[in-house]
Amino acid sequence: MTERNDHDLGEQFHALRREDAAAAAPFHATLAAARARRAPPPGRRTRWLAAAAAAVAGVALALLFTRPDRGGGVTIDLATVRWKAPTDFLLALPGEELLRAVPELGRPRSTRDRRIP
Amino acid sequence: MSPEALELELDRLHPAAFGWAIACCAGDRAAAEDALQASYLKILDGQARFDGRASFRTWLFAVVRNTAAELRRRAALRRLLPLAVLGATPDGRPDPATVLARADATRRLTAALAALPRRQREVLHLVFYQDLTIAEAAEVAGVSLGTARTHYERGKAALKKLLKDEPE
Repeated sequence: MTERNDHDLGEQFHALRREDAAAAAPFHATLAAARARRAPPPGRRTRWLAAAAAAVAGVALALLFTRPDRGGGVTIDLATVRWKAPTDFLLALPGEELLRAVPELGRPRSTRDRRIP
Repeated sequence: MSPEALELELDRLHPAAFGWAIACCAGDRAAAEDALQASYLKILDGQARFDGRASFRTWLFAVVRNTAAELRRRAALRRLLPLAVLGATPDGRPDPATVLARADATRRLTAALAALPRRQREVLHLVFYQDLTIAEAAEVAGVSLGTARTHYERGKAALKKLLKDEPE
């Protein structure tokens, strides 16, 4: 590409620049629009804050007055509660009755493994 | 830099920054105005700080470029979400009003520029439109000098070909 072509290209870009400059909004208008974007109208913001505060207060009051037991939390009767862990079956071992019973002398248990001396 | 001095500098560079914002938004004037407003806000609110390492113009152009890219990503996301039906979002193409307002020669130039890859378009704009050096263009575009030079050479050749091929 020759320098002449570069010059022509530059001229075309400069024409584009002149067009853009003529169409550009003034700086102060752009700045004012930018500042207007940043700050929502105070009335609108206040209304939003008031609505949010009222909603939070309403939920707090509803919780305060609708709880059945205000003082002590939930009571659980431990005597009636029975819970079994899902892994309890792992504790069931073959021959575990030997561990739970008193051995009787002279009477071999039927479940005892005779290979063990 | 004091807020008053900052405003004076922005005022001085406003036409150039607007032209650069249009280039960053692929010719969409409304999107360019949005990007410029958001950039000015960032600067005046101190979210983007000038540290004096580059010239103020180079730094401002980098801020505008990054802001335009952020807005472009957000617009792309909005187009993907169902909320996009609630309002039109810029799609990165020149708006019809801008195209109509252009003279024939500049319309051909902008059409040819739009056909180039983004990086090439940016580097050519910075060098030919903004009269920056390739080194300064590299700084604005956030690429190395060698990469900017490659974009410049390839972009210039492609642009020349496009302008030659297109009937007047």
